[in-house]
Amino acid sequence: MSMHSSSDSVPHEPWYKYGVAFLLFEMAIAVAVSAYSLYMTFNGIGGFPGKH
Amino acid sequence: MATHKVEQLVIATVGFFWCFLMWFSTAAFSPSIAAAYHLNIKALGLLASSAIWMAPIGRIVAGWASDRFGAPRTFAAILAGCGLVSIASAYTTDYKLLFIERVVVAIAGVSFVVGIQHVAQWFDAHEIGTAEGLYAGTGNVGAGMGALLLPRIFRTNYHGAFLWLGIFALVIAAWYLLRGSAAKTVEKRQLARSRSDMRGTLFVWSRYIAIALMLAYAMSFGLEIAMNAWLPGYFTRGFHNAILALGFTSVAGVQIAAGTFAAVQSFTASLFRPFAGFMSDLFQRKRWTPLPFIAKSLPYAPRLHWLGIALIFIAMSMAGLTLGGLTGSLHISVAVLVAMGVFISFGTGGTFALVPLLFPDRPGAAAGFIGGVSTAAAIVYPLIFASGSSIHMGYAVVALTMFVPFVAFYFWAARYERHPEEHGLVTSALAMEEA
Repeated sequence: MSMHSSSDSVPHEPWYKYGVAFLLFEMAIAVAVSAYSLYMTFNGIGGFPGKH
Repeated sequence: MATHKVEQLVIATVGFFWCFLMWFSTAAFSPSIAAAYHLNIKALGLLASSAIWMAPIGRIVAGWASDRFGAPRTFAAILAGCGLVSIASAYTTDYKLLFIERVVVAIAGVSFVVGIQHVAQWFDAHEIGTAEGLYAGTGNVGAGMGALLLPRIFRTNYHGAFLWLGIFALVIAAWYLLRGSAAKTVEKRQLARSRSDMRGTLFVWSRYIAIALMLAYAMSFGLEIAMNAWLPGYFTRGFHNAILALGFTSVAGVQIAAGTFAAVQSFTASLFRPFAGFMSDLFQRKRWTPLPFIAKSLPYAPRLHWLGIALIFIAMSMAGLTLGGLTGSLHISVAVLVAMGVFISFGTGGTFALVPLLFPDRPGAAAGFIGGVSTAAAIVYPLIFASGSSIHMGYAVVALTMFVPFVAFYFWAARYERHPEEHGLVTSALAMEEA
């Protein structure tokens, strides 16, 4: 690990924190969809919108 | 023209999102199209697979074109061309013509590499993982959103959907052309343009590390789009009794259940992708290099290690999916699928956090090769999944016969401590000329 990138010490620009916030929001949607699907494997038609 | 790199990121992401929406819009309406033209199951399968036909070659050409003509012109041409054909397809009544037009509209999927090149021309090395992740991950959601929303908005009126998708594509094309800027600096733009010749393309294609990244992308994105098409049928057949036991007894109910279980892979693979790019940036900042064999002293070595970890986890999750299927547990299979989607996103985000750093002078050609040829794998996987005696065994077969060799090749190609891009199939003379 002798050759360190010059980018290591570069501080992030203001846009970066909004970018990270947006990616966290996207992850939350993915977690919600996954949780709903897992819930449906246990509860079947008890879960919206599976009342068929 | 005064602009900011975030504006360029937003334009590229919106353009890509819309292109992915158009790419998979045919699949979203396939039941309606099948009913309108009385298609049998074979014709329906052909229509579904046709979406991927243009991707391998088209992405290679698009990557070269973005280096040559700049991303804004190339992206606008794709949006406008596909948009116009989408509008034409809205008024088509002959199935053969409609089929041809929808294959042409599916060219929209090649836009991925154009945006990758565009973002790479604007963002610096320390933030490239997050920027490319935001672009690709958010854009990829277009596929899932299309499947989720288009049939609900337009119901069976695919003519109306194709018309409005085309009209908005034209609007975005005009926006891209007006506000898009090809690169952060004139020097950067000229360098990419000057390296967009056949020699430059041959150079990229022959590099071991480019081939390793192409295989890594075949393991991740190739698997993602293959699973999009494969999983609903897999759950319907492989877990039919378990789904019936949950109370989904009608055909529509089984389809909804299978589609919901399958959706976890698509959503996690798309929406965790920006996080994967962020993790690649984090590995880089912390200088984490935990894996053996892979180079540790390259400036971007931690990113190579992050991708190596992702590939190992993807291979392991394939074995997990087989085990879950063989035990007959729907819970285990869906849970493994969630993990697999996350690992796939690590692979896709990790790969394109590296491509612009390894080939900074020709990001389009590199993105075209790695993002294009790899999509051919999406045609191969379902054939293997469906060929075994048990519907659950195909994942393990692919992991053992394809993924283990791919991972081994990646470790081998990423072992060079200096200039891995100098090592390739063509003699070193080519690499030396390029250096």
